[in-house]
Amino acid sequence: MRLLRLELRNFRNYRHLDHDLGGHLNLFLGANGQGKTNLLESIALLALSASPRARRETELLGPLAAEARVLGRVESEGRIREIRIDLREEAGRGRKRIEVDGVNRRAVDLPGLARAVLFWPEDLNLVKAGPEHRRRFLNQMLVQVEPGHARLISRYARVLEQRNHLLKQIAAGETGIETLAAWDEELVAVGSQIASSRRAAVAELAPLAGRHHQAIAAGEELAIGYLGPPDDFAGGVQKSRSLDVRRGVTGVGPHRDDLLLELGGRDARAYASQGQQRTLVVSLKLAEADLVAARTGEPPILLLDDVLSELDAERRGALLERVASAGQVVVTSAEAAPLPLELMHEARVNCIRAGALEPCG
Amino acid sequence: MPELPQALEDLVQELSRLPGVGPKTAQRLAFHILRADRQRADALARAIGDLKARIGYCERCFNIAEGPLCAICESGRRSTEQICVVESPMDVIAIERTAEYQGLYHVLHGVLSPVDLVGPEEIHVPELVRRVTEGGVEEVIVATDADIEGETTAVYIYRALTPTGVKITRPAHGLPVGGDLEYADELTLARALSGRRAF
Ligand SMILES: Nc1ncnc2c1ncn2[C@@H]1O[C@H](COP(=O)(O)OP(=O)(O)O)[C@@H](O)[C@H]1O
Ligand SMILES: [Mg+2]
Ligand SMILES: [Zn+2]
Repeated sequence: MRLLRLELRNFRNYRHLDHDLGGHLNLFLGANGQGKTNLLESIALLALSASPRARRETELLGPLAAEARVLGRVESEGRIREIRIDLREEAGRGRKRIEVDGVNRRAVDLPGLARAVLFWPEDLNLVKAGPEHRRRFLNQMLVQVEPGHARLISRYARVLEQRNHLLKQIAAGETGIETLAAWDEELVAVGSQIASSRRAAVAELAPLAGRHHQAIAAGEELAIGYLGPPDDFAGGVQKSRSLDVRRGVTGVGPHRDDLLLELGGRDARAYASQGQQRTLVVSLKLAEADLVAARTGEPPILLLDDVLSELDAERRGALLERVASAGQVVVTSAEAAPLPLELMHEARVNCIRAGALEPCG
Repeated sequence: MPELPQALEDLVQELSRLPGVGPKTAQRLAFHILRADRQRADALARAIGDLKARIGYCERCFNIAEGPLCAICESGRRSTEQICVVESPMDVIAIERTAEYQGLYHVLHGVLSPVDLVGPEEIHVPELVRRVTEGGVEEVIVATDADIEGETTAVYIYRALTPTGVKITRPAHGLPVGGDLEYADELTLARALSGRRAF
């Protein structure tokens, strides 16, 4: 999987960028606030059809106009595709138009064409942050390896929204409970598909992450488990009904999922030190890249946003081993030479200043 | 924007209430009508007036009708043993185009959607249950869309009709996933209808 070319028009602080990438190591250097994360965000957008950080899509529009474009030419298994995402603002809301080789495509059908694993500073909190961050980790991985998963997630969000509205209406006495069973059934139908995908993925991820973890921190046993809906999901939803009505929210389902992370039998979410958390995150991210490669037969594009400088020698070493191996890598750094000398030589190096690329020096 | 003359402003207002028509389009349409021949404008006004005066909804199936019953309910040649439940009169037209189906319809005019405050009464489910309870119906085909609301409405109807003992089926998958029945091509639709399955 390779990104051959990236074109940005009025995307965040990039007015106009046309850039051909190298097939292996690409390094972008720049001081803070120059556009390093923005660049990787645009690549993640091509992979996920949604920005992993923008709360509102209108945030992505640059200063030139109410329109932006991200275009990527990607190569996978010898086939080259052009993905184009046009964003514009309409009545205060972001609107997206996606084309693949000139053919219109829905946002839920894009992920999987350009596969990327993003590792950015925010991920360093993955262990101790709220469970929604770990669910997002699973989602971003799964939409890229399972056709239809993005659609499942969007269907699930819809059924949840509808059911929660209904719960509030029931609580307010505005309507009876006679339609609740139908919504429950749909919630379970869609939710259990998500749960089974997640269960299988976590089972695959666990040994991969365990191996990376062992290589960085010998001796500490890492265990990863999927904390999903109860085995009797339908029964669980039914049991939760009166509580759900009282609270006005759905209490059971994959929207409550979490990842169990254990180090030496202790819950890392509660006990891990900062160093242990980082080792765990690096292991998880490397395992994610392994899983994508195993499922699709190709290593994903690895996007490393300014994280190397955050890591100490051992953890950095584990990451660099992957960086040095096959596959395309895009690294950003505020440090002038974040990579060992031999890798610096291999890398195609560019400098970013105020949303433009310029020769370094 | 300088103020428009009242009559023009009124028309822009009304047009912009139409689905898919924003204020800019409404204004363009209004000016277009203003420029058009008197006859064209009168014909448009008359067509809209006639529509509401002449066309209503069938008392039995809620399809569009020129009298108390729609043409399909009135026709003596349709099988009264089958009822096909659809979301809108446009779905009826789509299915009729396939010439595959000989039974009657029941038009919901919507789907269950708490977000939009739409429950079973708003989509004529009680009337459907009554039709089936009155007897003579062998099969109810629930042809709502495959999106979340369409699926849930189908589940609800299935549950509501189960006590009557009637056979309840759903068109085969093969309809565009999450897509509208209305936009399915005739062949796909015909295949989905003939390949329907029990719940
Ligand atoms: N929509 C936007 N339009 C213009 N500039 C933006 C937009 N969004 C972010 N920026 C600018 O981008 C810069 C941050 O870029 P970022 O990629 O996060 O920096 P870094 O190089 O530190 O990773 C800031 O200067 C910010 O003002
Ligand atoms: Mg940054
Ligand atoms: Zn009728």
